[in-house]
Amino acid sequence: MTYDASAEREGRPGARPAADPTFWGRLTGWGPYHVLMRIATASPRRQFAILAAFPILWVLTQHLGPMLQMLRVSLTDAYPVAPGVEQSFTLENYARFFGDSIFWMPFFRTLTFAAVFTFCTLVITYPVAYFLARHVSRRNQMLFLLLLLIPFWVGEIVRTYAIMILLGNTGAVNMVLRFFGLIDRPIPFMYTSFSMGVGIVYLTALYMLLPLYSALEKLPKSMNEAAADLGAGAWTRFRRISLPMTIEGISSGCTLVFLISTGFYATPILLGGPSTTVFAETIAGFFHVAGDEWPTGAAFATIMFAAALVITAAFQRLMNALRKGDRT
Amino acid sequence: MNNRPELFRGNRIFLACIYWAFVLYVFVPLILMVLMGFKDSKFIGFPIRSWTLDWYTGVFADAEVISTFGYSVAIAVLSTLISIFVGTWIAVLLEGRKFTGRGVTFGLTVLPALVPGIISAIAFRIYARYLGIEPGMGAIIWAHAVHNVPFVVLVVMARLSTLPKSQIEAARDLGADPLVAFMRITLPYLVPAILGASIFCLLLSFDDFVRSFFLGGYDPTLPVLIFAKLRSGMSPEINAIATVALVLTAAIGIWAERFTRRMNKEN
Repeated sequence: MTYDASAEREGRPGARPAADPTFWGRLTGWGPYHVLMRIATASPRRQFAILAAFPILWVLTQHLGPMLQMLRVSLTDAYPVAPGVEQSFTLENYARFFGDSIFWMPFFRTLTFAAVFTFCTLVITYPVAYFLARHVSRRNQMLFLLLLLIPFWVGEIVRTYAIMILLGNTGAVNMVLRFFGLIDRPIPFMYTSFSMGVGIVYLTALYMLLPLYSALEKLPKSMNEAAADLGAGAWTRFRRISLPMTIEGISSGCTLVFLISTGFYATPILLGGPSTTVFAETIAGFFHVAGDEWPTGAAFATIMFAAALVITAAFQRLMNALRKGDRT
Repeated sequence: MNNRPELFRGNRIFLACIYWAFVLYVFVPLILMVLMGFKDSKFIGFPIRSWTLDWYTGVFADAEVISTFGYSVAIAVLSTLISIFVGTWIAVLLEGRKFTGRGVTFGLTVLPALVPGIISAIAFRIYARYLGIEPGMGAIIWAHAVHNVPFVVLVVMARLSTLPKSQIEAARDLGADPLVAFMRITLPYLVPAILGASIFCLLLSFDDFVRSFFLGGYDPTLPVLIFAKLRSGMSPEINAIATVALVLTAAIGIWAERFTRRMNKEN
């Protein structure tokens, strides 16, 4: 068998490889395949084009396409278009949002709730992540982390239902409080912003915990020890060392949790009440009725996505500024 | 572990308490939910005075639940196959290659993972109608597949970045064309990442509610069925269904975790 390996590499197949009994050997030895491959690898440029065409087409049509189509529908007066009717562009769907408090109240409520729940998640998971990263031996770390990952595999609806059982009037919390004689009648936890918060923190905690954990893990331990030797107390060490050094983890965790929190639909329905209607329910309402309302729903969804993006972008800028300010 | 544990002992105990309290917060609701499935009464609530397995026998005899289960599994498997195929291809394009528009392509690749659930569902619903896809199994598979692609790309890219380039070069020197080099060197190297990502996609799809809800036809997936039953009232029957789903997903999750760890150790 003689063939010129360098010619092969440059895309000019010289002699064919000797007969190879495996599937791939037979395929490469097969005439039509050989011709096709020679055409495909004729130049590095063509080779790249063949590799890149499908992924780029996919992200444009499947990832960007739905968002663009949503934007387009939000600017039309009717969708789907009835036959024989001219479709016209309008901003009325957006104007409708500002015209009625029944629309913008849930919108601001959703953003406020998402911000508050994100902050709660941060405060709850930070010490947990700190403990895992700094006070658990390497060997046990994975085990301790896995323990928290298990419930994460369970779906949104099932976990929401679990919270309903926990907080109901005849739920576990009320039962325990009554058993110890702390209350006479059950506390109505359910269908309030409290139950919604417990549920959403429960669902999002791991998205916060993992970025925090990986940020804290990178923190050199010697820094804390040096600070302690120099007389810094626990609070000072946290405020002056851990917190500034993990701002990146905090920033990405909060962004993720905030975006996820704004998108919940089933959890607010099941855990919330009439006073805690979120914007997701408002948006969904336009899709349960006749198709006429689709453009309004699309406009509202666009408003919400834009707001969520603006807020997270502003938040990340703020965090970046904080980090840079700390380094100087 | 601290080299000088005596220094941070007080903190350590305090943080350990928080950790275990958090473990309780994460586990207690699920344990209570499982226990409630064994209650011998239609009424959800504590205390549980007598126990029964009737709810479970009822669930396994319920043809609707069984077919919903199969429907959800079929959707998960088919959407995962698409996600893996597309995600691996995108990862191969993006990892270690510099080209104009790479940043934009990467941004667009992760976009579906960042869009809040309800907005993603609405956008898919509108786009499905635009493409002429009827609500139903096909639409759900398509939406899940698109939504899960970013996770596959990230996992596969991480693995791909550790692939020794010399192996590919050696294969090419020995006369393998790019496709054969990919199929015989790159792909086998990616197997652990692909398996890990598959499990992740399967669970994401199986657990997904909002996309299944907005893109579904008359047949519900398992989370949609549980949601519908919950809206008409709580009952231990729902606990039994949810527990079966919980045991299955948690078991697959734990198994996958161990499996990927073992694969990583071997390599």
